[in-house]
Amino acid sequence: MGKIGGFKKKSKASDEIPSSSLADIAFLLLIFFMVTTVFRKEKKRDIDWVEAEATQKIDEKRKNVLHIWVTQDGTIYINDQIVPEGDVAALIRPIYAENRELVVAVRGDDDVPYRLINGITEQLQAAGAVRVTFATRVEKQMARARR
Amino acid sequence: MGILKRRERVSDEIPTASMADIAFLLLVFFLTTTVFNEEKGLPIVLPEKSEEVEVSAKNLLFMLVQPDGSIIVKRGESEQEQVVTYRQIEGILRQELAGNPNLIAAVKTDPAAAYRHMINVLDEVKKAGAERISLQVLE
Repeated sequence: MGKIGGFKKKSKASDEIPSSSLADIAFLLLIFFMVTTVFRKEKKRDIDWVEAEATQKIDEKRKNVLHIWVTQDGTIYINDQIVPEGDVAALIRPIYAENRELVVAVRGDDDVPYRLINGITEQLQAAGAVRVTFATRVEKQMARARR
Repeated sequence: MGILKRRERVSDEIPTASMADIAFLLLVFFLTTTVFNEEKGLPIVLPEKSEEVEVSAKNLLFMLVQPDGSIIVKRGESEQEQVVTYRQIEGILRQELAGNPNLIAAVKTDPAAAYRHMINVLDEVKKAGAERISLQVLE
Protein backbone atom coordinates (compact mmCIF):
# COMPACT_ATOMS: atom_id res chain seq x y z
CA MET A 1 0.00 0.00 0.00
CA GLY A 2 2.74 2.28 1.03
CA LYS A 3 4.48 1.80 -2.28
CA ILE A 4 1.36 2.50 -4.28
CA GLY A 5 0.79 5.64 -2.24
CA GLY A 6 4.31 6.74 -3.16
CA PHE A 7 3.59 6.33 -6.85
CA LYS A 8 0.42 8.32 -6.46
CA LYS A 9 2.27 11.19 -4.89
CA LYS A 10 4.86 11.28 -7.65
CA SER A 11 2.28 11.49 -10.37
CA LYS A 12 0.59 14.31 -8.48
CA ALA A 13 3.87 16.27 -8.43
CA SER A 14 4.18 16.14 -12.20
CA ASP A 15 0.69 17.55 -12.47
CA GLU A 16 1.85 20.89 -11.04
CA ILE A 17 2.79 23.76 -13.26
CA PRO A 18 6.56 23.45 -13.70
CA SER A 19 7.51 26.56 -11.76
CA SER A 20 11.20 25.66 -11.91
CA SER A 21 11.34 26.64 -15.57
CA LEU A 22 9.95 30.08 -14.78
CA ALA A 23 13.41 31.12 -13.68
CA ASP A 24 14.82 30.01 -16.99
CA ILE A 25 12.17 31.96 -18.81
CA ALA A 26 12.90 35.07 -16.79
CA PHE A 27 16.65 34.77 -17.26
CA LEU A 28 16.12 34.16 -20.93
CA LEU A 29 14.10 37.36 -21.13
CA LEU A 30 16.78 39.20 -19.16
CA ILE A 31 19.50 38.02 -21.48
CA PHE A 32 17.39 38.61 -24.56
CA PHE A 33 16.83 42.25 -23.64
CA MET A 34 20.44 42.71 -22.62
CA VAL A 35 21.68 41.39 -25.93
CA THR A 36 19.18 43.08 -28.20
CA THR A 37 19.24 46.51 -26.61
CA VAL A 38 20.94 48.73 -29.12
CA PHE A 39 21.61 52.22 -27.99
CA ARG A 40 21.15 54.55 -30.88
CA LYS A 41 24.50 56.06 -30.51
CA GLU A 42 27.52 56.94 -32.49
CA LYS A 43 30.95 55.81 -31.60
CA LYS A 44 32.49 57.60 -28.71
CA ARG A 45 35.41 59.70 -29.70
CA ASP A 46 38.38 59.89 -27.45
CA ILE A 47 38.48 63.45 -26.24
CA ASP A 48 39.65 65.26 -23.16
CA TRP A 49 36.47 66.79 -21.85
CA VAL A 50 36.34 70.39 -20.90
CA GLU A 51 35.29 70.89 -17.33
CA ALA A 52 32.99 73.49 -15.87
CA GLU A 53 31.53 73.98 -12.44
CA ALA A 54 28.37 75.43 -13.87
CA THR A 55 27.68 72.24 -15.82
CA GLN A 56 23.99 71.51 -15.89
CA LYS A 57 21.88 68.66 -17.08
CA ILE A 58 20.29 69.16 -20.44
CA ASP A 59 16.79 67.83 -20.09
CA GLU A 60 16.15 66.94 -23.66
CA LYS A 61 14.93 63.84 -25.42
CA ARG A 62 17.69 61.80 -26.90
CA LYS A 63 16.33 62.06 -30.37
CA ASN A 64 16.51 65.82 -30.19
CA VAL A 65 20.17 65.90 -29.38
CA LEU A 66 22.83 65.88 -32.04
CA HIS A 67 26.45 65.54 -31.12
CA ILE A 68 29.26 67.27 -32.90
CA TRP A 69 32.56 65.83 -31.88
CA VAL A 70 35.75 67.77 -32.29
CA THR A 71 38.74 65.61 -31.55
CA GLN A 72 42.15 66.77 -30.48
CA ASP A 73 43.51 66.75 -34.03
CA GLY A 74 40.69 69.05 -35.07
CA THR A 75 38.61 66.48 -36.93
CA ILE A 76 34.87 67.10 -36.78
CA TYR A 77 32.58 64.11 -36.54
CA ILE A 78 28.83 64.20 -36.96
CA ASN A 79 26.99 60.87 -36.82
CA ASP A 80 30.28 59.02 -37.15
CA GLN A 81 31.15 60.85 -40.31
CA ILE A 82 34.13 63.07 -40.75
CA VAL A 83 32.85 66.47 -41.75
CA PRO A 84 35.06 69.12 -43.34
CA GLU A 85 35.15 72.34 -41.35
CA GLY A 86 33.08 74.25 -43.86
CA ASP A 87 30.36 71.65 -44.43
CA VAL A 88 28.75 71.70 -41.00
CA ALA A 89 25.95 74.07 -41.96
CA ALA A 90 25.08 72.07 -45.07
CA LEU A 91 24.85 68.91 -42.99
CA ILE A 92 22.88 70.41 -40.13
CA ARG A 93 20.32 72.21 -42.26
CA PRO A 94 18.33 69.10 -43.36
CA ILE A 95 18.55 67.64 -39.86
CA TYR A 96 17.22 70.83 -38.37
CA ALA A 97 14.49 71.06 -40.99
CA GLU A 98 13.30 67.63 -39.93
CA ASN A 99 13.42 68.37 -36.24
CA ARG A 100 12.91 71.92 -35.08
CA GLU A 101 13.56 70.98 -31.49
CA LEU A 102 17.13 70.08 -32.26
CA VAL A 103 19.75 70.78 -29.65
CA VAL A 104 23.30 70.56 -30.86
CA ALA A 105 25.82 69.42 -28.30
CA VAL A 106 29.34 70.41 -29.16
CA ARG A 107 31.71 67.89 -27.66
CA GLY A 108 35.07 69.43 -28.16
CA ASP A 109 38.46 68.38 -26.91
CA ASP A 110 39.81 70.86 -24.41
CA ASP A 111 42.86 71.57 -26.53
CA VAL A 112 41.35 72.42 -29.91
CA PRO A 113 41.78 76.00 -31.01
CA TYR A 114 38.69 78.12 -30.52
CA ARG A 115 38.70 78.89 -34.22
CA LEU A 116 37.12 75.47 -34.88
CA ILE A 117 34.44 75.84 -32.24
CA ASN A 118 33.59 79.30 -33.45
CA GLY A 119 33.39 78.00 -37.00
CA ILE A 120 30.87 75.42 -35.86
CA THR A 121 28.70 77.82 -33.87
CA GLU A 122 28.66 80.31 -36.73
CA GLN A 123 27.53 77.62 -39.12
CA LEU A 124 24.90 76.39 -36.70
CA GLN A 125 23.64 79.93 -36.54
CA ALA A 126 23.53 80.07 -40.31
CA ALA A 127 21.63 76.78 -40.38
CA GLY A 128 19.18 78.11 -37.83
CA ALA A 129 20.01 75.57 -35.13
CA VAL A 130 20.46 78.10 -32.38
CA ARG A 131 20.05 75.85 -29.37
CA VAL A 132 23.56 74.82 -28.60
CA THR A 133 25.23 73.13 -25.68
CA PHE A 134 28.89 73.08 -24.96
CA ALA A 135 29.18 69.61 -23.52
CA THR A 136 31.26 69.65 -20.38
CA ARG A 137 32.05 67.45 -17.45
CA VAL A 138 31.31 68.53 -13.94
CA GLU A 139 34.31 70.13 -12.36
CA LYS A 140 34.80 69.41 -8.71
CA GLN A 141 35.78 72.25 -6.46
CA MET A 142 38.57 70.08 -5.10
CA ALA A 143 40.05 69.44 -8.51
CA ARG A 144 40.21 73.11 -9.12
CA ALA A 145 41.85 73.86 -5.81
CA ARG A 146 44.63 71.45 -6.65
CA ARG A 147 45.42 73.12 -9.91
CA MET B 1 7.11 7.95 10.42
CA GLY B 2 7.57 7.04 6.82
CA ILE B 3 5.37 9.90 5.64
CA LEU B 4 7.17 12.43 7.82
CA LYS B 5 10.51 11.39 6.38
CA ARG B 6 9.33 11.90 2.87
CA ARG B 7 8.08 15.41 3.67
CA GLU B 8 11.46 16.31 5.05
CA ARG B 9 13.18 15.17 1.87
CA VAL B 10 10.99 17.47 -0.25
CA SER B 11 11.84 20.54 1.82
CA ASP B 12 15.55 19.76 1.49
CA GLU B 13 15.53 20.72 -2.17
CA ILE B 14 16.73 24.12 -3.31
CA PRO B 15 13.56 26.20 -3.67
CA THR B 16 13.56 26.64 -7.39
CA ALA B 17 10.17 28.31 -7.28
CA SER B 18 11.72 31.52 -5.95
CA MET B 19 14.32 31.58 -8.73
CA ALA B 20 11.75 33.12 -11.01
CA ASP B 21 11.11 35.86 -8.48
CA ILE B 22 14.82 36.51 -8.19
CA ALA B 23 15.23 36.67 -11.93
CA PHE B 24 12.25 38.97 -12.40
CA LEU B 25 13.47 41.14 -9.57
CA LEU B 26 16.80 41.47 -11.33
CA LEU B 27 15.02 42.24 -14.57
CA VAL B 28 12.96 44.97 -12.95
CA PHE B 29 15.94 46.31 -11.04
CA PHE B 30 17.98 46.74 -14.19
CA LEU B 31 15.03 48.19 -16.07
CA THR B 32 14.47 50.87 -13.45
CA THR B 33 18.05 51.71 -12.61
CA THR B 34 19.39 51.99 -16.14
CA VAL B 35 20.28 55.60 -16.60
CA PHE B 36 21.29 56.54 -20.08
CA ASN B 37 24.13 58.94 -19.93
CA GLU B 38 22.46 62.28 -20.04
CA GLU B 39 23.58 65.36 -21.80
CA LYS B 40 25.53 67.66 -19.61
CA GLY B 41 26.95 70.97 -20.53
CA LEU B 42 26.62 74.70 -20.72
CA PRO B 43 23.55 75.51 -22.78
CA ILE B 44 23.40 78.67 -24.79
CA VAL B 45 21.01 80.00 -27.37
CA LEU B 46 22.72 81.62 -30.31
CA PRO B 47 21.18 84.72 -31.79
CA GLU B 48 19.34 84.27 -35.06
CA LYS B 49 21.23 85.54 -38.04
CA SER B 50 18.84 88.41 -38.58
CA GLU B 51 18.54 89.67 -35.06
CA GLU B 52 21.66 91.75 -34.82
CA VAL B 53 21.06 94.58 -32.45
CA GLU B 54 22.98 97.67 -31.57
CA VAL B 55 24.09 97.68 -28.00
CA SER B 56 25.30 100.73 -26.23
CA ALA B 57 28.86 100.44 -25.09
CA LYS B 58 28.09 100.97 -21.44
CA ASN B 59 26.14 97.73 -21.36
CA LEU B 60 29.10 95.70 -22.49
CA LEU B 61 31.77 93.98 -20.51
CA PHE B 62 34.39 92.39 -22.69
CA MET B 63 36.41 89.44 -21.61
CA LEU B 64 39.21 88.94 -24.05
CA VAL B 65 40.65 85.45 -23.91
CA GLN B 66 44.27 85.42 -25.00
CA PRO B 67 45.96 82.41 -26.63
CA ASP B 68 47.87 81.71 -23.42
CA GLY B 69 44.69 81.63 -21.39
CA SER B 70 45.06 84.98 -19.68
CA ILE B 71 42.03 87.20 -19.77
CA ILE B 72 41.71 90.91 -20.28
CA VAL B 73 38.61 92.52 -18.88
CA LYS B 74 37.50 95.67 -20.60
CA ARG B 75 34.45 97.74 -19.91
CA GLY B 76 32.67 98.78 -23.03
CA GLU B 77 33.07 102.49 -22.79
CA SER B 78 36.53 102.78 -21.31
CA GLU B 79 39.86 101.92 -22.79
CA GLN B 80 41.09 100.71 -19.46
CA GLU B 81 42.18 97.09 -19.50
CA GLN B 82 42.60 94.74 -16.62
CA VAL B 83 44.45 91.45 -16.85
CA VAL B 84 42.86 88.81 -14.67
CA THR B 85 42.86 85.06 -14.21
CA TYR B 86 39.59 83.38 -15.00
CA ARG B 87 38.88 82.68 -11.36
CA GLN B 88 38.45 86.40 -10.71
CA ILE B 89 35.83 86.81 -13.39
CA GLU B 90 32.88 85.57 -11.37
CA GLY B 91 33.47 88.20 -8.69
CA ILE B 92 34.01 91.00 -11.17
CA LEU B 93 30.95 90.08 -13.18
CA ARG B 94 28.74 89.77 -10.13
CA GLN B 95 29.75 93.25 -9.09
CA GLU B 96 29.13 94.67 -12.53
CA LEU B 97 25.79 92.90 -12.83
CA ALA B 98 24.67 94.30 -9.50
CA GLY B 99 25.37 97.78 -10.85
CA ASN B 100 23.85 97.15 -14.25
CA PRO B 101 21.45 94.21 -14.71
CA ASN B 102 21.36 94.81 -18.46
CA LEU B 103 25.03 94.10 -18.79
CA ILE B 104 26.07 91.82 -21.62
CA ALA B 105 28.98 89.55 -20.93
CA ALA B 106 30.90 89.46 -24.17
CA VAL B 107 33.42 86.66 -24.33
CA LYS B 108 35.89 87.36 -27.10
CA THR B 109 38.21 84.48 -27.69
CA ASP B 110 41.35 84.47 -29.74
CA PRO B 111 40.99 81.92 -32.56
CA ALA B 112 44.24 80.31 -31.47
CA ALA B 113 43.26 80.00 -27.83
CA ALA B 114 42.48 76.51 -26.58
CA TYR B 115 38.79 75.66 -26.25
CA ARG B 116 39.16 75.04 -22.52
CA HIS B 117 40.18 78.64 -21.88
CA MET B 118 36.96 79.81 -23.46
CA ILE B 119 34.95 77.27 -21.45
CA ASN B 120 36.66 78.36 -18.26
CA VAL B 121 35.50 81.89 -18.88
CA LEU B 122 32.03 80.84 -19.97
CA ASP B 123 31.81 78.75 -16.81
CA GLU B 124 32.57 81.79 -14.69
CA VAL B 125 30.09 83.87 -16.62
CA LYS B 126 27.40 81.24 -16.06
CA LYS B 127 28.27 80.99 -12.39
CA ALA B 128 27.97 84.73 -12.02
CA GLY B 129 24.42 84.33 -13.26
CA ALA B 130 24.75 86.42 -16.39
CA GLU B 131 21.72 86.04 -18.63
CA ARG B 132 23.00 87.94 -21.58
CA ILE B 133 26.07 86.36 -23.04
CA SER B 134 27.75 87.06 -26.31
CA LEU B 135 30.38 84.85 -27.89
CA GLN B 136 32.72 86.42 -30.33
CA VAL B 137 36.08 85.95 -31.93
CA LEU B 138 38.90 88.24 -31.05
CA GLU B 139 40.20 89.97 -34.15
